[in-house]
Amino acid sequence: MKTRASIWTVRWLVAVVAAGLLAILGESPSSAAEPILLGVSGPLTGSNAQYGAQWKTGFDLALDQINGSGGIKGRPLQYVFEDSQSDPRQSVSIAQKFVNDPTIVAELGDFSSPASMAASPIYQRAGLVQFGFTNSHPDFTKGGEFMWSNTVNQADEQPALAEFAVKRLGLTRLAVIHLNTDWGRISKDIFVKAAKEDGAEVVATEGFLPDEKDYRSTLVRIRESKPDGIVIIAYYADGALIARQLRSAGIKLPVVAVSSVYSPKFLELGGDAVEGIYTKANFFPEDPRPEVQTFVKAYQAKYGKDPDTFAAIAYDTVVLLSEVIKQYGTERKAIRDGLASIKDVPSVIYGRVTFDPQTRRVLGAKTINLVIKNGKFALWDGSKPAIN
Amino acid sequence: MTTLLDVSALVRRFGGITAVNKIDLAVTAGEFVSIIGPNGAGKTTLFNLISGLDRPDSGTVQFAGETVTGLAPDHIAARGLARTFQHGRVFANLTVRENVLIGAHTRQRAARWPALPIGAALEFVAALIRPTWMRDEQELLDQEVRDILGIFGDRLLPRIDDPAHSLSYANRRRVEIARALALKPKLLLLDEPTAGMNQTETAEMKALIGELKRRGQTILLIEHKLDLVMQLSDRVVVMDDGIKIAEGPPQVVRHDPAVIEAYLGHPTLGAAEKVVAAEAS
Amino acid sequence: MSSWFDYTINGLVVGNIYALLAVGLALIFGVSHLINFAQGSVYSVGAYVGLVCITYLNTPLPLTIAIVLASCGLLGILIERIGLRPLQGRTRIAPLLATIGISLVLDQIVQLVFSAQPRALPSQVPDWRFVIGGGSIGALDLLIAAIGLASAAVLFAFLRFTKLGWAVRATAQDREAAQQMGVDVDRVDSAVFAIASALGGLSGLLVGMYYNNISPAMSFQATLKGIVAQVIGGVGNVPGAIFGSLFLGLTESYGIALFGTSYRNLFAFVILILVLISWPNGLFGGRRSLPPEPLTGTFIAPSRPVLLPFWLVVALVATGLLLPVVVTSPYVIQTLSNAWLYGMLALSLTLVAGTAGQISLGHAALLAIGGYASALLALDLGLSVLVAIPLAGLITGLIGTLLVYPAFGLRGHYVAIATLGIGEIVSLVILNWESLTRGPIGITGIPPLAIGKHDFYSAPAVYWLTFAVLVGLALLQRRLLRSPLGRTLRAIRDDDVAARTYGINPNRYKGLAFAFSGFVAGVSGAITAHLYSYINFETFTSQISVLALTMAILGGLGNVFGAIAAAIALVGLPEIFRVASDYRMLIYGLALLLLIRFRPQGLFGTV
Repeated sequence: MKTRASIWTVRWLVAVVAAGLLAILGESPSSAAEPILLGVSGPLTGSNAQYGAQWKTGFDLALDQINGSGGIKGRPLQYVFEDSQSDPRQSVSIAQKFVNDPTIVAELGDFSSPASMAASPIYQRAGLVQFGFTNSHPDFTKGGEFMWSNTVNQADEQPALAEFAVKRLGLTRLAVIHLNTDWGRISKDIFVKAAKEDGAEVVATEGFLPDEKDYRSTLVRIRESKPDGIVIIAYYADGALIARQLRSAGIKLPVVAVSSVYSPKFLELGGDAVEGIYTKANFFPEDPRPEVQTFVKAYQAKYGKDPDTFAAIAYDTVVLLSEVIKQYGTERKAIRDGLASIKDVPSVIYGRVTFDPQTRRVLGAKTINLVIKNGKFALWDGSKPAIN
Repeated sequence: MTTLLDVSALVRRFGGITAVNKIDLAVTAGEFVSIIGPNGAGKTTLFNLISGLDRPDSGTVQFAGETVTGLAPDHIAARGLARTFQHGRVFANLTVRENVLIGAHTRQRAARWPALPIGAALEFVAALIRPTWMRDEQELLDQEVRDILGIFGDRLLPRIDDPAHSLSYANRRRVEIARALALKPKLLLLDEPTAGMNQTETAEMKALIGELKRRGQTILLIEHKLDLVMQLSDRVVVMDDGIKIAEGPPQVVRHDPAVIEAYLGHPTLGAAEKVVAAEAS
Repeated sequence: MSSWFDYTINGLVVGNIYALLAVGLALIFGVSHLINFAQGSVYSVGAYVGLVCITYLNTPLPLTIAIVLASCGLLGILIERIGLRPLQGRTRIAPLLATIGISLVLDQIVQLVFSAQPRALPSQVPDWRFVIGGGSIGALDLLIAAIGLASAAVLFAFLRFTKLGWAVRATAQDREAAQQMGVDVDRVDSAVFAIASALGGLSGLLVGMYYNNISPAMSFQATLKGIVAQVIGGVGNVPGAIFGSLFLGLTESYGIALFGTSYRNLFAFVILILVLISWPNGLFGGRRSLPPEPLTGTFIAPSRPVLLPFWLVVALVATGLLLPVVVTSPYVIQTLSNAWLYGMLALSLTLVAGTAGQISLGHAALLAIGGYASALLALDLGLSVLVAIPLAGLITGLIGTLLVYPAFGLRGHYVAIATLGIGEIVSLVILNWESLTRGPIGITGIPPLAIGKHDFYSAPAVYWLTFAVLVGLALLQRRLLRSPLGRTLRAIRDDDVAARTYGINPNRYKGLAFAFSGFVAGVSGAITAHLYSYINFETFTSQISVLALTMAILGGLGNVFGAIAAAIALVGLPEIFRVASDYRMLIYGLALLLLIRFRPQGLFGTV
């Protein structure tokens, strides 16, 4: 028994050491002299790991382009990605790590509002920009003058979605199914208000929890409210699940989804069921804008797939910060001031980015109306849905 | 002489089997009564009913002049009834000392504060503050524990700070009895105290129980070892199949034909086994 | 009215899916008396094996199923052999912790191999649909039901008519007796894990196809639902698990019908608690009036605790106090502050789980109550933070005790599940009680930690505050443990029947334990809220409850110092392993398994 145990011990140890070595070797240093560092706090493991993975694609693409063309005044731009699992406990520690590392000039993230906003006091006190590029919680940038965000403002996005659903598609009785988090809830509230102003009636709102997978009973409830159109406020994975289950629930109503479903994953996970769904996007591969073309082509070339909203906003963010650093220098305070004064930075999502120095947010995200046709996102041709 | 325990027409059924069937039993203060009978006769079930761990389907239990039928075991214990268990139920991770101190639980001042949130909260505060009276009380109890353990010679005293799980089987049974004594019971129920003991240990146990009897302790005993029963008991009750089949002084019971029948040629052994099974599950 | 028919069908469809998970859990529990937290991970492995088969190897459905069954069965044997068998005959709680570690490792391996992105798992079942009521049922629904029933039938036949099946049943009834009668219990364990894991993998495949969506993150929720379903039926009972699953599916569906989607789990968990209270051994469990006698201290390992001499305690406290002077990295100091906050949570849990023997899987809820209470007291009533925090602790103690009170009559694993349910209920009430808690938006602008006008912003300030509170609470708890009350609590843990027989009213003492525990956790949650400045219902997740239990077990149940040491270890290790970047959680899982392997009684032993 004793020997058997010790054999296993040895194997365990070997496994651990091997894993550790692998990890260290994987980090092989390729750094040129004096890179400029951005700190990233976001989920690489845990239940939100997929979004962190998407961020990385956007960051890496932007850095390829920036460093490929000589970096910032000869210095390469790089990022240090610390996995927070979107857990406030870890994001707070990471914040301490970043603010006390003088080589970090600005911080990006975290993913969820609880994780980001728990760390905000630390960044604010230390005077390091916390750029929460997915934090739509209205109070995020109220955390202090160092909290900035270029996330698509729901005050922009939702009225546009309501306009699409009500005025363009002619839907009058809407049922809303939304993710019941701060983002989903705020989006829903703005949407409902805008839809009513546009003259439609909202006959049902159902909020689901992040971990849910089964929506069949929710959809029965929605069907009972007799809507003539369904609005989905969710990310792509949940959105695809809802679309599939709409079919098995026998609901054949027009469906409008927020731009967060704009992702090749939505098509992959949704299959046939997402055919005919209306959505919006902030960028589109056929969009002739040069920023979009540069981004989409390069993204397809590097990863062999289409980018989604998360990759685009991550890309935009790095491009924006590199521009700020170029113009205003690497000093932390200078970057904050630079964000307030920089004008018209090219952007995939916005076309041109200029911050409102009061709210520290950006308005005027581009939006395009799309419909899913033949398993692809296509520009909406103006045709209204056939009402069953 | 007052009647300490008065059980009347007690019935407990498990499924289709009547484990205890209209049992009447009275024990007067200072008396030593033994219950014997084949396995599965319902003896332990009767103990469970008296001590409150199980509820009877009908019948009553009176203890120290009060009806205690269906009362929770902690309430019955607080009235002065202590018992041991057939297979031993010591607190494995508590030391010998602590095990015995638990026996004195109901005698602690703070534990007697009414079981309302207030009483409990005060007990909690007292435990944190540990006022003088509490320290004195614990010191007194501690001395008492040593005295009780002293009855067992050097079996337990040298191991007073050992956890119970490290003790031998016989020692655990001794700890159980010590714990029961710490309650200062009016009535002590002993469930097969010599089960699984060898001859020496049994003899020692017999001497110990005899000593308790001499001190005037009222005892109700379940036991298979008949010589112990015959020597110590004032009265013997014989149970079989949940029914009391005989009762009387040891010498009388010993020659009762029904008892011999029950012990030697058991006609319904199968049924008895079922009762055992029912009790065990 | 026709909608009710639809709700019923939907509930059965979902219950059907839970059943596949619950059966495997029930089987393992029946034989090993172990809640297998790794079952959900095997389920996700099954889904990914299916993905490889379908998208890369293009195997037909029967072959896909066969490969999934075989590979997950093998995985089950490996889990049992490597992770659990070395712990046999040690403590009963160590294997539970081992399954948590194994689950971490498996999830991480899946993520490293397949990335965190959700993947589509195309269904190989034809998309025939049958219209029923307003909705429809697909061929896959029927296949899942058929496989669920078939596996139950095969299992039944196996247990009833094969020699190994008899051995399994004998082992489930009485392990030691079976061993003495010549049953090879190791082989039985292997067989059981193989079968249960094969079933788990198969359910992963089918559920993945059903939703056309698999991801490494799917395992935790699957485990939770499976556990709940099998407990409703009666732990370890296979038909009960199937029934419990359908029951859970139906309650969720009716919950949505009656109250709306955001009340789904709230309704389901309230029903769960009601079921547990009414049928303390599950709907299919036998009614036993008394537990068998040798059940003494089953959950708690007999062990000798490592006792710290007084001078060492003083030295450790002094070191702790001086640390920020020596260590200048605010990151390290902040991480240690986190460890102190988790240390309080671990103290709180080790008191109820370790000292009083009431395993709680819902302890994060106490943090949430404390955090919300303190934040609201400070914001809405304008109390100073210094007053709000201890008050929040008291409120948490009170609410926590009242919430758990109905579950005081439960034993062993049922307590764990009841507290899990109560924890979920708390989180969902916070989500839905908008007028008080601001719902999903959460509470922003919580004032920072402060004494008078002096703010505690800097890392060392937070460190000293949390450390002082932790030391204070730990000393209080130590004092409690050494008082007669501590003895009483431990007696209830070791054998509540004997304790009651000696005049101890368990409810009184469980109540006290939960009240103190609630106070400690509430203070931790309150400090956390002021530290974060923003909390919402997602801040204190059920994963934190599992982490807290891991700490309590790892430290040694009931062991005050052990709980703190384990908190340092489990908060610190993931930070230390940051150098391993993507591999860090994997290494953390392996480290956890190693710790359990060599200290199954916990680092410092049960007190």
